[in-house]
Amino acid sequence: MTAVQTRAAQAPKPSPAARAHDVLAFEWTKLRSVRSTSITLLIAAVVTIGATGIVAHAVASTPKPPPGGFSALSVSFLAYAEYTVIPVSVLAVLQFTSEYSSGLIRTTFAAVPQRWTVLAGKAAVVGAAALVIGEVLAFGCFALVQAILSGRHRGVSLGQPGVLGAVLAAGFVLCACALTALGLAAIVRHTAGAITAALGVIYLVAGLCFFLPSPWQADIGRFTLAFAASQVTALHPQAGLFSPGGSMLVLVAWPAGTLLVAGLVITRRDA
Amino acid sequence: MIELRRLTKRFGTLTAVDDLSFTVRPGLVTGFLGPNGAGKTTTMRIILGLAAPTAGTAVVDGRRYQQSLRPLRQVGSLLDATAVYGGRTARDHLLAVALSNGIGRARVAQTLELAGLSAVATQRVGGFSLGMKQRLGIAAALLGEPPVLLFDEPVNGLDTDGVRWIRLLLRELAADGRTVLVSSHLMSEMELTADHLIIIGRGRLLADLPADRLIKSSARANVLVKSPRAHDLATLLTASGAAVTPEDGGGLAVTGLDAPAIADLAAANGIAVHELVPRQPSLEQAYLDLTAASTDYRAGARAAESTASR
Repeated sequence: MTAVQTRAAQAPKPSPAARAHDVLAFEWTKLRSVRSTSITLLIAAVVTIGATGIVAHAVASTPKPPPGGFSALSVSFLAYAEYTVIPVSVLAVLQFTSEYSSGLIRTTFAAVPQRWTVLAGKAAVVGAAALVIGEVLAFGCFALVQAILSGRHRGVSLGQPGVLGAVLAAGFVLCACALTALGLAAIVRHTAGAITAALGVIYLVAGLCFFLPSPWQADIGRFTLAFAASQVTALHPQAGLFSPGGSMLVLVAWPAGTLLVAGLVITRRDA
Repeated sequence: MIELRRLTKRFGTLTAVDDLSFTVRPGLVTGFLGPNGAGKTTTMRIILGLAAPTAGTAVVDGRRYQQSLRPLRQVGSLLDATAVYGGRTARDHLLAVALSNGIGRARVAQTLELAGLSAVATQRVGGFSLGMKQRLGIAAALLGEPPVLLFDEPVNGLDTDGVRWIRLLLRELAADGRTVLVSSHLMSEMELTADHLIIIGRGRLLADLPADRLIKSSARANVLVKSPRAHDLATLLTASGAAVTPEDGGGLAVTGLDAPAIADLAAANGIAVHELVPRQPSLEQAYLDLTAASTDYRAGARAAESTASR
């Protein structure tokens, strides 16, 4: 046996913790080393805060809150639900599709041949980043809206029952949407298709439910990400849909189910 | 050491790799040759666990690639140099790959230096020429100082300096005792680099032999003899078991006897010999003869077919 072989054979087997560290460092380095990641997030944050300010100002300017209209809480997340969720979901999609379109996925799978581990690493990094961004912007939007509305004595405070939980849940919604998008991206592989699939699952499925006749609208709609998101972030959850607890399960089930299918697909497909 | 046992890969009805068995040994540069579409890249993808074989096995140092937890320390590979994300800098690309296998930043700087990319380490890969991308890919393959290396067409698109750099690097890696498998369809390049050759065509093994033996075993290796009594000499040679073919210009192409034997035979019979030239075909010619039957996309063959169908 040559010296080179002996050296390699003697390399210690990495512990599971060391392995986890490797894979997280791998995915995190890939995520942060692309300039478009930080630019996209910065624009998303600025647009979200700006749009939230406009919405809050418009609501504050109406003489009376419209009956059945937006609560002071749900107004906080109107802009966030689109201007944050869309760009972050697209970034999540790109974590897989940019590797497939460039061919880098083969380098990734050659570096870490255990593909479930690759998927777990990407999900952990994307999920954690989305959760942090989600919570920061959810609290930021909430604070901005309350600052504008409290001048009209129509704001709510974090101390009121259910409010803190709703704001925290709003941050988690971003994590759920990003992970669902990540899973879809691994299944679809192509950027355009995966973005369409992700936005379709996040928005269009729920949008379609609005056109269903009365009992079906809630019966089917409550299983969608968007209905579940509105339930967990509402001060007064809608009757006929799942409770906030049940809706939270829906928000966990979508990414979990999508990532499970993604794992089954990528471990069976040639790269 | 890389070992393939009865490896087969089918894509639908197409058999890309067909019952392929061979062993790649350490300490040598092994050229992996075959026409375009012969199954070289597919074979390498299977060795790296990127594609699953339909049947058979491929193992590196006794185990499947997928079983390795930090594979880059065992096997370094370059499949496609252009398969990088253009928005990332060379250093970040290498750093990400290094961290995935617990390799430190110091080694990233070393491989950048080794590949001659230190000056462009902070530039985005998207602006790199193909040659620079090849260097980056080779740097990535060397990160883990692996005992086994696989390179798919590493000299494609390189200028003369780049080709020479890779040739010297491959020889150096083999001299270190590493196992080096290099695919190419450029026989002329392999003639300068490879110690051992594995030649496939249509997914099947055509030859597995030392590079110098391919030349010697070629039917084109012969001895040119010129003599004023060519006819008498030809009769003598044939009687001694050699095959003799008259050539234009009055020479005889002799196979089955080497030059000293021919000279001795001529001297013993008092026949003067004016020229005696041992001739070897180029490796390229030997290779062409070997793969002629199994070439998928040959211009001549296609032209002949289209003529026939007209």
